[in-house]
Amino acid sequence: MKKAEAVATMPSTKKKGFFRRAVEQWDLQVMVLPGILLLLVFSYLPMYGLIMSFQEFRIGDFPGMSEWVGFKQFESLFSDPNFFRTLRNTLVISLLKLTIGFVCPIVFAVFLNELRNQGIKKTVQTISYLPHFISWTVCALLMMDFLSIDGGAVNEFLMWTGLVDKPIEFFQDGKYFWGLALFTDIWKELGWNSIIYISAMAGVDAEMYEAADIDGATRAQKMWHITVKAIKPTIVLLFIMNVGGVLNANFDQIMMLTKNMGNATLTEYADVIDTFVYRMGISMGRFSFATAAGLFKAVINFALLLGANWVAGKAGETALF
Amino acid sequence: MANATKAARQRPHRMKVKMTVSDYVIVILMAVIMLVVFVATLYPFLNSLAISLNYADDTMLGGITIYPRKFTLDNYKNIFTKETIWKAYGITFARTIIGTIGGLLITGSLSFALSRKNLAGRGVYTMLCLIPMYFAGGLIPSYFLIRTLGLTNTFWVYIIPNLVNVWNMILMRSYFQSVPEALEESARIDGANYLTIFWKIYWPVSTPIIATIALYFGVFHWNDWYTTFVYITDSDLKPMTSVLLSIINEASFAERMAAQGADAAVIGQAAQGKAVNVRSITMATMITSIVPIVAIYPFLQRYFIKGIMIGSIKG
Repeated sequence: MKKAEAVATMPSTKKKGFFRRAVEQWDLQVMVLPGILLLLVFSYLPMYGLIMSFQEFRIGDFPGMSEWVGFKQFESLFSDPNFFRTLRNTLVISLLKLTIGFVCPIVFAVFLNELRNQGIKKTVQTISYLPHFISWTVCALLMMDFLSIDGGAVNEFLMWTGLVDKPIEFFQDGKYFWGLALFTDIWKELGWNSIIYISAMAGVDAEMYEAADIDGATRAQKMWHITVKAIKPTIVLLFIMNVGGVLNANFDQIMMLTKNMGNATLTEYADVIDTFVYRMGISMGRFSFATAAGLFKAVINFALLLGANWVAGKAGETALF
Repeated sequence: MANATKAARQRPHRMKVKMTVSDYVIVILMAVIMLVVFVATLYPFLNSLAISLNYADDTMLGGITIYPRKFTLDNYKNIFTKETIWKAYGITFARTIIGTIGGLLITGSLSFALSRKNLAGRGVYTMLCLIPMYFAGGLIPSYFLIRTLGLTNTFWVYIIPNLVNVWNMILMRSYFQSVPEALEESARIDGANYLTIFWKIYWPVSTPIIATIALYFGVFHWNDWYTTFVYITDSDLKPMTSVLLSIINEASFAERMAAQGADAAVIGQAAQGKAVNVRSITMATMITSIVPIVAIYPFLQRYFIKGIMIGSIKG
């Protein structure tokens, strides 16, 4: 009955214009309105603001009404040696996260799946989420202590094993920073990023493992051919999304680990596009220049996302769109 | 022996599978990975907790591991005499509560409306929501927007720009789409409007997704440092994350001074006292700032795991 009614009213509503229908369903439109308005203001107006990068913005100008300068900002950006330093740092840190940092949660999830004792499994899992819920401020603080040269657990352990004969200055020496950024990121997000794989594994039919047992498969073979194969679509999808964020080095993380860029030797290795944009724009007042750097980042990210998506689609894998 | 018979009873049908060398390698690898994750994750937290509960003078001697050597609550008493900590705590709580409720209402109603197939303009609205996920205006334009709107140095800069979160919207929308439509239809027959349907019918049956999204909003607001860093200079409006950071910076300043061997007259008596206590105080402040979240998340675990699954199905 209800279905029939709904179907019967469908054609007439379809013919009406948007406004007639919107007025009829005012209650639904009211629910959409605040959200869409907020999006227009806080997401779309900044996109309009990107035209600043083709202008010479001065404080007091109405945004978008400044003098047009064409590609001048981009020219000075590409001739700025500091920009290439930030580009290098961003790429190195992101690629480390995209490779090693991406594989770690998968390995963790696959091995966790092998754990037979449900109690231990649940405990390890719950503990592994913990760092995701704390801020980078707290995380950096914990890591500074954990990796400190003055009684930090990691250095104490390394000294005890005899791998090093004096403590490593992780936070003082710039050459460790890339590794530090990778390690702290893994430490914080390993458990959280593994959830999605663990959920995907829950869908694997237990009979597949039993069948493999009968065929005499080793544990490693089962892990590779059944477990990893089952989560492959998830892996591909997440990889595409991560590729789209290659130029987003984590601003909070970098700022916290370097104590707000307070250490010049670290800056050499820690300055990334986001911190560069902040410093050039907000601190030094080169607004249009900084916007150009931001736009460069957004465009490259978007292109990479499309590229990765296209490659995945061609390879016959699940694609984002 | 007893264990073996018990195991045999539990799995009577399973034939005894012979372990090969590679199987042993896998088991050992598994144990090592689990142990490393467990210890490396938990140790820094337990260590900080122990330091925060240990006498400051004793902590200076070093060697505190995961339990306090000389137990005291002085460090906590000390930080709670500071007015800035109370203020910061108040700001953090206020923005977390208001931001989470506001976010749930605005993002929730948006996602409910977008989950209705008969919504006029659904395609356009959905596109408007999806584009910002992949392309954003970035820091500088947003900065000028917030300034132009007069939100800098107000409490509302924490709330208003964060009422809509597109990722959360997508998760909620998928959930609402999975609720049987019969629920809506029968209410429509009874003449209920969509606001009532959302609030009275969909909201109560959506506990898993609401708990998940509330947690996401809550954790974001509780941990956000960036907004304060860029938009807030008024110290009365600074939350725990920022105050914690200024304590760290003070600490490193005091440490540097001490390391340079500046004498007491130069640093001043106050700074000297600080140098002794600073690590203990930092740890106590840090522990206080993470306790609420750490206490809540294990109970919401089954919800957010479900929430992530919903997200993964939709991609």
